[in-house]
Amino acid sequence: MIFFENLIHILYFVMAGLVLLSMLKSLFKRKKNKGVVFDIMYAYCLIPFLLRILYIK
Amino acid sequence: MEKKSLIVKIVVLVIALVLALLSGIEFWQLRHYKETIVASEDLTEVKWFSDYVPSLKNTWMDTPVFIFDSGVEGGTVFVCGCPHPYEPASTMAAYLMIENLKVTKGRIIIVPRANYSGSTEGMVGDAYPMFFHVSSDWGISQYRIGDRYTNPLDQWPDPFTYVNYPSGQNLAYQDIRNLNRTYPGRENGTLTERAAYAVMEIIRQEHVDMAIDMHEAEILYPVTSTYVAPSKVLDREKFLATGEMEYYEPEKSSLDVAMMAGMNLSDQFLMKSASSPNTLHGLSHREWADWSDSLTFLMETPEIFIDKITGPRTEALMTEGKDEFLQKVTDKGLTYFPYDMEFGTPMWYRTGRHLTGALEVVYWASFFYPEMEVEVTWPTYLEMEELENQGVDSIGYFLKNPDAPENKDRAFTIYYKPVGANYDKY
Repeated sequence: MIFFENLIHILYFVMAGLVLLSMLKSLFKRKKNKGVVFDIMYAYCLIPFLLRILYIK
Repeated sequence: MEKKSLIVKIVVLVIALVLALLSGIEFWQLRHYKETIVASEDLTEVKWFSDYVPSLKNTWMDTPVFIFDSGVEGGTVFVCGCPHPYEPASTMAAYLMIENLKVTKGRIIIVPRANYSGSTEGMVGDAYPMFFHVSSDWGISQYRIGDRYTNPLDQWPDPFTYVNYPSGQNLAYQDIRNLNRTYPGRENGTLTERAAYAVMEIIRQEHVDMAIDMHEAEILYPVTSTYVAPSKVLDREKFLATGEMEYYEPEKSSLDVAMMAGMNLSDQFLMKSASSPNTLHGLSHREWADWSDSLTFLMETPEIFIDKITGPRTEALMTEGKDEFLQKVTDKGLTYFPYDMEFGTPMWYRTGRHLTGALEVVYWASFFYPEMEVEVTWPTYLEMEELENQGVDSIGYFLKNPDAPENKDRAFTIYYKPVGANYDKY
């Protein structure tokens, strides 16, 4: 059970990493909503995912 | 992509990374800040939660367990500090006990930070300071405030509903990270359940006679300024055989001891007594008694910092406890504590209450049941009150300087793994 607990826990960090990559991609390469406001939104929203995969918050 | 657009994106990303760095530094500092205490000369042994539950080793839920054995036969007292880190008078009381206690009969076992992981972050969504400070004549000490729950960095995700083991009672989802909802715990459960199991194993393996859990509570919560103790305990054999929960009055009554202690304290401060409900599971005052033979007590002090209707949550609110909103609510008779904003609920007051509240329980349990007698002293509420009346910071007065040469051999860094050579000596 402890093994599966740890595995699920690690998977959540992997998911956070995937969301981070997705946001980075959307920041630099997207087809819609090309204004600078959306640049700011994507850059700002990736902060918690970055802190999570760095095991800080 | 236009060159100009690319430059804007890079600039925005750099600004976000700078913001992440700035916030990350603070979170990192809170996560890795190490408090150091000086154990009293009566210290005989230091163990860890992982000595009782090996899978906790090198996890952020491992934590030191300080044991003081007088060498004279008597009872054993277990004191649990910091089950909820955002109730820090609990930790301060445990630190003052560890630094100052003298035991002449029986044994004392103290865990100053029972949920170490939870002390390494703040409440999500609640903006409040990371630390509070205590002044001594040798300097200023800094202590974490912390969260109520285990840090999600260490245990995540939460389920939709938390089901307490073995009662099967449904609790709020986040209570799966609440040490005082996960008793009696599971050896192979979540990180918090394993820490709860470690506490149970300390109580069982060390043959604890009196177990004291130190908390703080909102004054809008009825069980503030209160001892909680069970009047009945679970028939364990019947439950394990049939799954049926039946309760009986034990030979030795925690509630009798708590009521006597509360009455005797009435000339110092208000301390009510409440019976632990049979139907509310996962809490220390229920499960410690149900799953061990120990007398069990939970103590609550009034901590307005965690009331939801206060003004700004500043360090002063934590250390002085003065708030005009709670005064208004108290004036309307809506709180469960005679709150007076002039005095507030200062840290020394709440810490002193825990120190004397625990001593009073030990005294009356020893009086009622001489076979478990323990003789111990540490700073008291009245001593602290006298110092405060003289303008001295009473907590700082009783704290020892870990950097002083005479204390170097007994200085212990509180962390999730041993730091420094002194742990090897015990």
